[in-house]
Amino acid sequence: MGNLFVKKPRVTDVDRAILTLKTQRRRLAQYQQQVEIVIQKEQDAARQLVREKRKDRALLALKKKKAQEELLKQVDVWLVNVEQQLADIEIAAKQKAVFESLKAGTQAIKDLQSEINIDDVQKLMDDTAEAKAYQDEIDAVLGQKLSTEDNEEVLAELAEMEVKMALEDMPAVPDVPMTDRPEAAEPAKVPVAEQAETQYSDIEAVMGSNQKKLVEDDDVDMLDLPEVPSTIQRRKKEAAKARVDPLVA
Amino acid sequence: MGDFKFPYFFDYPPYFTLQPVQDTREKQMQLWKELILRYCQHHKCFIINLEQEFPLFQNLSIQRKLSFEAREMFLAALVAEGKAEWLDKAHKKCLVLWRSIQEWSEMILQLVRDNAMEDGVLTLDEIQSGDESRGTELAGIDRFVLVRALKLLEQRGKAAMFKGKAGDDEGVKFSAS
Repeated sequence: MGNLFVKKPRVTDVDRAILTLKTQRRRLAQYQQQVEIVIQKEQDAARQLVREKRKDRALLALKKKKAQEELLKQVDVWLVNVEQQLADIEIAAKQKAVFESLKAGTQAIKDLQSEINIDDVQKLMDDTAEAKAYQDEIDAVLGQKLSTEDNEEVLAELAEMEVKMALEDMPAVPDVPMTDRPEAAEPAKVPVAEQAETQYSDIEAVMGSNQKKLVEDDDVDMLDLPEVPSTIQRRKKEAAKARVDPLVA
Repeated sequence: MGDFKFPYFFDYPPYFTLQPVQDTREKQMQLWKELILRYCQHHKCFIINLEQEFPLFQNLSIQRKLSFEAREMFLAALVAEGKAEWLDKAHKKCLVLWRSIQEWSEMILQLVRDNAMEDGVLTLDEIQSGDESRGTELAGIDRFVLVRALKLLEQRGKAAMFKGKAGDDEGVKFSAS
């Protein structure tokens, strides 16, 4: 601290005007009180005169009282005007204060904004977008690699499973050759019915070995087996029979 | 404002006589000092004029009153304590400060704050008897005390007194801070 002279608030013309108005208000109020006293006095005087039966004097007193009452009303109006003006001044002062603070606020915003260059902001946003895009690319590439490997593994697993299932199916077929054979062989065998039995056994042998061979093949490395081995076998059987027949015949 | 309750000793005749014994005299003075302050606060008296009758200093029911010497002594004790001031050299008039000038000035500031009158103008009359001070302790404050309190505020830079054009209006402007 150490201020020798503390600054007092400055008294402006506005303040003096307010003071004048307030003083005026006070004076008017005092005047009103005076007038009210006079009115009361006149009324009492009139009453007294009526009692004394001096009608004309009483009338005079009442007239004076009436005049004072009019004056009172007039002062009321003036008082209202003075109060109104005081209120207006107060409103204007508050408006000025609000305006000043808004101005200060706007200036503050301007100063803050001036520190941020909009081009810099744009560049920053672009850099951020670039970085994000790069990140997404990396994610995509990483993701791809993994899915290719996955796919191959899955395909291998599938093939294995198919082979296993085929194996499970396969041994069953040779067990029931008799029932299968006549159905398959019949259409071809109709013209050559008599040689059926001998050919039967021959075919059987060939078929059996073929099948066995097929089974063995299946066992070992049949990777690209289409769905139903039995169809191929059937065809092979028929082909074999066709070859055998002419040979035999 | 209820009736002022006089303390028990007010009805004891001895208390209206200045006691010779030192200890009793001191006790007597203490009691009277407090009584004076309390009485003045209750009735909003600010000035005691020794040359006039002051209702406090006599008790008609017991036909006793304080002598001039006693009154002067008690008031002098109050002045020594800082709770009163002589208004004249002859010690005839005493200003009783049941609240210190500092406290009065604080109260005025509080009034200004409560009524949002910072940066505003009030006439001294308004502070004494206007709408804003009605109901507070400031109502009916002595003009002299008020001016003293405002002067104190002026020194602190919180207010500025000024006169209007007509001459009989005194106003005070309060600072915004």
